[in-house]
Amino acid sequence: MGHVPHEFAIGGVYLPPMLIAAMFGTVATLVTARLLNRYRLSRYFSYPPLVFFCLLVIYTVFTGTFIIGA
Amino acid sequence: MILSRKTKEASKTALAMTIAYGVALSMDWDRPYWAGFAVAFVSIGTVGQSINRAALRMSGTVLAVAVSLTLIAWFAQDRWLFMVVLSLYLSLCAYMMAGPKRQYFWQVGGFVCVIIAFDAGPDPVQAFDTAVIRAQQTGLGILTYSLVALFLWPVNSRPAFNAATRDLAATQHQLFGAYAGLLTTDDGLETARELRAKETEQRARFGQLLDAAETDSVEIRETGPRWRRYQRLVIRFAETLERLRESFVEVRTMDLAHLLPNLDAFNALIEHRLSWVESVLGPEPPEAPPEHRPERRQQHRQEVFSSRPDADSVEQLSHFNRAAMTVINDNLRDLDRLTVELCEAVEAIQGDADVEPDARAGEGPARRMFLPDPDRMGYAIRYLTIMWVAFLGLIFVDGLPGGAGLVGMAGAIGIVLATAPQIPISMLYAPCALGIFLAGVLYIFVMPQLAGFAALGPMIFAVTFFFCYVFSEPRQMLGRAFGLALFVVIASISNEQTYSFLTVATTSLMFVLIFLVLALTVHFPISWRPERVFDRLLHRYFRSCRYLVSTVGRHADPLSTRRERWLDTFHLREVSTIPAKLAGWAPHLDTAALASAGEDTVQGMISGLQELATRIRMMRDATDQTWTDLLLDHLRDDVSSWQNGMADAFERLSVDPAAGDGKALRDQLDEFLVRLETRIRETLDGAGSSWSDEREAEHFYRLLGAYRAVSEALVAYAERTGSIDWVRLREGRF
Repeated sequence: MGHVPHEFAIGGVYLPPMLIAAMFGTVATLVTARLLNRYRLSRYFSYPPLVFFCLLVIYTVFTGTFIIGA
Repeated sequence: MILSRKTKEASKTALAMTIAYGVALSMDWDRPYWAGFAVAFVSIGTVGQSINRAALRMSGTVLAVAVSLTLIAWFAQDRWLFMVVLSLYLSLCAYMMAGPKRQYFWQVGGFVCVIIAFDAGPDPVQAFDTAVIRAQQTGLGILTYSLVALFLWPVNSRPAFNAATRDLAATQHQLFGAYAGLLTTDDGLETARELRAKETEQRARFGQLLDAAETDSVEIRETGPRWRRYQRLVIRFAETLERLRESFVEVRTMDLAHLLPNLDAFNALIEHRLSWVESVLGPEPPEAPPEHRPERRQQHRQEVFSSRPDADSVEQLSHFNRAAMTVINDNLRDLDRLTVELCEAVEAIQGDADVEPDARAGEGPARRMFLPDPDRMGYAIRYLTIMWVAFLGLIFVDGLPGGAGLVGMAGAIGIVLATAPQIPISMLYAPCALGIFLAGVLYIFVMPQLAGFAALGPMIFAVTFFFCYVFSEPRQMLGRAFGLALFVVIASISNEQTYSFLTVATTSLMFVLIFLVLALTVHFPISWRPERVFDRLLHRYFRSCRYLVSTVGRHADPLSTRRERWLDTFHLREVSTIPAKLAGWAPHLDTAALASAGEDTVQGMISGLQELATRIRMMRDATDQTWTDLLLDHLRDDVSSWQNGMADAFERLSVDPAAGDGKALRDQLDEFLVRLETRIRETLDGAGSSWSDEREAEHFYRLLGAYRAVSEALVAYAERTGSIDWVRLREGRF
């Protein structure tokens, strides 16, 4: 049987794995967006807000699947 | 011990909050935190300002109660129809909130309706009770704060209003002095610009304090119409000064000593009147010496305007320079008239006027047409998007944090942010996190230890005092509002108090979701990124310029249709208001994108657009009078091609605001002016070189001056914007 994502306990408070993954995903996306802006790479996207959303989903799923769920 | 103003104001709000909670709990009213909200949001500045705000909050609540109960009664069985009709009402509120009057009334009328509607939604039978409790608690909060503000360290608006009036009069006086110096040189341009910014700010403050002083000062209320007249005159004086400054460029190279022989006397006369206004509005108004009386003013005026310019000097001028002189003379005459009216207005205020001047004089033409504002419509669309996303989340996402409360909170925060899209959402993160943290700590660790109101009261006082004291500056208003609102929401103080960590966690997650929705609506369905808005406003501005220039004179045509007059008024409003909107967005432009041009270039560009707007208005005013028949016949083609040339240039700019080639436009204009000068000379020579009367000549030169002024402003805009990297400014960014 594969790995099952488990809850995080902080001071007795249980946090769902999805919440943690989403937090990581948000931070990673913000850093990526900042870097892309800094080096003027964002101009190659036709609609950056959509790219931001996609990055958020990709990072969250990636973190949830390979880091938290590992 | 002398307490600071900051401490006193924080203490007043804290005391009012504690009393409001105390009364609501002792009466066992449901949801006492609504009274706390009312106290937190009506406490501002002076008694007058707070009472005005309280009145708007109460009347907005009454409107919201009526609308929400009606909607629940009509559509309780159909949530989609309910939401559609509610959306129509909310879009009206958001549209009106972004308008010039009663913004707070519409804001409260909008979000309170959402709160009541969604609070009562799951249980419509209780809807009436919920609405009545909301109105009752709001009334309690307002009454408590008003009484505290009246009896404890009352701050009357009168002293602040008097100071603001004096400051404004002094700054306008200085501004006139600075502008007078600009006639010959650009040396004092920077000082003049600073004074101008200061004057605009002081004028806005004067207006706000006049509203407040009319509420809490009997003397100001009694002389209210006279003060309103003075306010209108002050606005017109500022506009006339600006027009005068803009007309300097064209006359600077001329021999002004001969062409305006009494300019020094005129400046002295205006200075004298402005000093008089300043001293009358001062703390100790002087007795009026005879030379200040109105009849004596007329005599002064005749002395100044009686001298004619040297005929030879005028003869040597080109027709375009004569036109520029006509324009400047018109402005000087307006300034003369306005300063006399200002003197009369302040004398009427002091009760010194022999004859009561018409208090409504100086009012602009009454607005008869409804002119939709595309920006305000955009705000309404953004607010609806926020509400619909929250509503759909509530319907389709099971266990949405906050549930109906999320929709209510999105309604309250959304209406503020939707109508002020310049405020970056990131500005709210810190106050929100601080509010949740502090309220969470108090709720989890402190409140369970308290027993009875004797212990709870001091805690409410201390927390409210802390937020009001730390976020006391007007620019920190959002921080204060968020901090207090989160404390009130999370603590959820009631007679049957319960404690649960989930309240804090749910509220935190609810705010995360609200911020996500707000972030989404920055880009969808309309982009509110500063660079995009800036570009959009420029497109609209030039489209309107093109329309006005290509249809010039039509507004004065009695045969024009109602639609044409409506379009004309609409575009004129667009051209007049867009530069101020651009100025509001300019500080939010990405500094990295502006690196090559700098913020000064953008500010210069906006000033250029303001100038262009003034000149287009001037051109329209001048075309109220038609071209003389003589010249109409001979110069029809030239004037028409000039007009078409300007319209084409505006057309190109409306497609791409970066399309102006300053050098090419300058060459084109210079060449055209030389050609037209020759044509006018030939025409007048052929017709006997004389005008039938002086007024006819003045009309002609006024028109010529107005056309040239618009062309010059257009070329100046194109030259100024050459250094802006438009590609970089427009490129996609996260």
